[in-house]
Amino acid sequence: MATPAARLPVRAALDRREAGVALRRVLGHDYRLGFLFVAPIILLVLALVAYPFGYAIYLSLTRKYVGVPPVWVGFDNYVKLTWDGFFQRAVVNSFIFTFGSVSVKLLLGMAMALVLTSQIRFRSFWTGVLLIPWVAPTVVSALNFLWIYDYSLGVLNYLLVRVFGLLPQGVGWLSEPGTAMASVIAVNIWRGFPFFGISFLAAMKAIPAELYEAAAVDGAGPVQRFWRVTLPGVKNITIIVVLLSTIWTFNDFQIVYILTKGGPGGATQVLPVLTYEIAFGAQRLGEAIAVALYMLPPLAVVIIVLARYMRRGQKA
Amino acid sequence: MDQRLHDLTEQLDAGLIARREFLRKAAVVTGGTAAGLGALRTLASAQPKTKLRVWLFKSFVTAGNEVLAKHIEAWAKERKVDVETDWATFGDREQKFVAAIEAGNPPDIAEMNIYGPMRYKAALRDVSKVATQLASAKGGHLPFAERAMKAEGKFLGVPRYSMTTVFFIRKDIMEAKGLKPPKVYDPDVVEFARKTTDPAKDLWGFGQTLNRSDDGDGFMSNILWDYGGGVWDKDGKPALGTAFLKQNTAALQFAVDTIKKHKIQPPGVMGWTDVSNNEAYMAGKLVTTNNGASLYYAMVQKKHELAPKTLCVLTPGGPAGSFVGSSCYNWAIFGKSKQAELSEDLIRWVEDESRFNEYVQASVGQAGPVYKARVDNPYWKSDPNFDAILQNILRSVNLGYPGPMTPAAAEVQGQKILTDMAGRVVVGGLSPEAALKEAHGRIEEIYKMRRA
Repeated sequence: MATPAARLPVRAALDRREAGVALRRVLGHDYRLGFLFVAPIILLVLALVAYPFGYAIYLSLTRKYVGVPPVWVGFDNYVKLTWDGFFQRAVVNSFIFTFGSVSVKLLLGMAMALVLTSQIRFRSFWTGVLLIPWVAPTVVSALNFLWIYDYSLGVLNYLLVRVFGLLPQGVGWLSEPGTAMASVIAVNIWRGFPFFGISFLAAMKAIPAELYEAAAVDGAGPVQRFWRVTLPGVKNITIIVVLLSTIWTFNDFQIVYILTKGGPGGATQVLPVLTYEIAFGAQRLGEAIAVALYMLPPLAVVIIVLARYMRRGQKA
Repeated sequence: MDQRLHDLTEQLDAGLIARREFLRKAAVVTGGTAAGLGALRTLASAQPKTKLRVWLFKSFVTAGNEVLAKHIEAWAKERKVDVETDWATFGDREQKFVAAIEAGNPPDIAEMNIYGPMRYKAALRDVSKVATQLASAKGGHLPFAERAMKAEGKFLGVPRYSMTTVFFIRKDIMEAKGLKPPKVYDPDVVEFARKTTDPAKDLWGFGQTLNRSDDGDGFMSNILWDYGGGVWDKDGKPALGTAFLKQNTAALQFAVDTIKKHKIQPPGVMGWTDVSNNEAYMAGKLVTTNNGASLYYAMVQKKHELAPKTLCVLTPGGPAGSFVGSSCYNWAIFGKSKQAELSEDLIRWVEDESRFNEYVQASVGQAGPVYKARVDNPYWKSDPNFDAILQNILRSVNLGYPGPMTPAAAEVQGQKILTDMAGRVVVGGLSPEAALKEAHGRIEEIYKMRRA
């Protein structure tokens, strides 16, 4: 007969076995192998996403100058930014820039897709041509537009004044607040609409031809077919494309920085450029990261709402 | 003799081992030793040479860059050092420094602009020894250079050269109109520009952006001083909207008037970047502009038709005098460098007078003196346009004037607060007083944070 002392290790072993059985029941019989397989990606995500993001949040709560250890200041950076006129203007400008760009890109992209799905000659050629703005490096595009918009030497004023005679005098495209914002939005639209167009094109090609035929048999005209067949067919892709473009445009740095550096007089100052100015001009890294993170919660809410809507649409 | 061979000999003599065994063991020992020595020699030669990471400033004056690179290459060959050279220009040098310092991986030595030692002082090494040695051999530093490189009594940078701005004038147009070089902005430059501006020909009398740029910020600093104002008082405290409010208001009003009232500037000037006035001048669209010598270099190198038609004169002034912000490119050694002595040796090498003179000759007026002895270089008399460059350098004042050059002053320059202020009046509709008040608030905050 076993003594109580000898029973204890046996009991512990039994407990462990029961726990193992329970885990296998919940996670599957090969859960150990599963953990082994996912461990590299978990480590990568922790090292490349979670750690930098966590460190950025920490730094945003500090006063951190370049080359000097950070000093904890809590939410001071965020509070200060909230009441800062330049930051407030950058927030407003960022929304104008983003929604001005995305809305026009949506319309142009839809038009591009509709044209490319119609019976036109050299369709592949036109598809390739329309994709050029999307594939060209942003820096190159922005530098070209810097020259195009130049008052004295730019081709735009040359065409408007000298060639077509539409204006008596050239326009300082980047030197007035209104035209400067419109100019940077125009470059973003020029660069971004092919992404909308090509995405819509793919979605439209996936719509069964029978739906159009049935609609035509029922007497639907081209406009009704667009509203009743095409638009519902591309609804999900529209949401995805708008969501992605909103995030990309909101975070766009290169176009504004190269064309105006946020000027004139802060008229085109957007959050990414402000972040850059504070980080490298003022060398206040904590405050710069706070600028970058300030708009994260509202953007996250937009993403979550749209993602939920998208998934609901898929289930339906 | 190897101790093991000695032992074997004794064993042979004592009859403990046979001759054949002696020979076998001796061969093993000798062969092994020889092989070991060979391997060690190979390992020794495979040891990497001492490595030095050098970051250089990529100036628009490419001939100067090439001369400097050649000098560093020659030094590396002479000292048998493996030099890793990297270049950064106006647009990306600060990003590179910030990233490298924060990553804990800065270069050993870097060529910095005048604000570098102040901006990165926490990461830099005291270079007083080499700075004072070089200065004493070259007649001493020019005062602005010494003040700009020193923090808390220590040199954080070794001065190299000054890249100043001058006033560029189209000599042919000036002479055709019977005009003389302007001495002050108001009324001289205004009158000069009015008489030479011809909008129908897209020709503008004056081209000076107030947009966010180094050019715009430099002009705004100068014009505040010209009117007796400035951003800082003599104690280094903010004075933009307080002690100097009256003077600064007049200066800001003048700067804005060149665009809004006098209409002597191109309509697109508020959208200009640092290179825009260079392009406009070389395209024949401007009669006058403020710029560094790189513009003159570009025209001379390209044998541009406007090079012989260009006159460089002293920067015009205002009621309180004529002021120009200083420039002092320098060598800084990072605190993390384990090659401080080697870096100092490199500085001595490139600052050798014959080598530096070669650099000056290639730089077409861009590499101005920061040492007293270099002021007397006959090179500065070799072109009439160089005299304005030299005289502007000699009278230049540091950021922070009339107070000391401080990290807060460097930050105000880095954030382009003065051009933002001008922009708020020109395109934002603010009054000069309101714009000054707004800018003063930002500067006060920087001052308080830097003090904290």
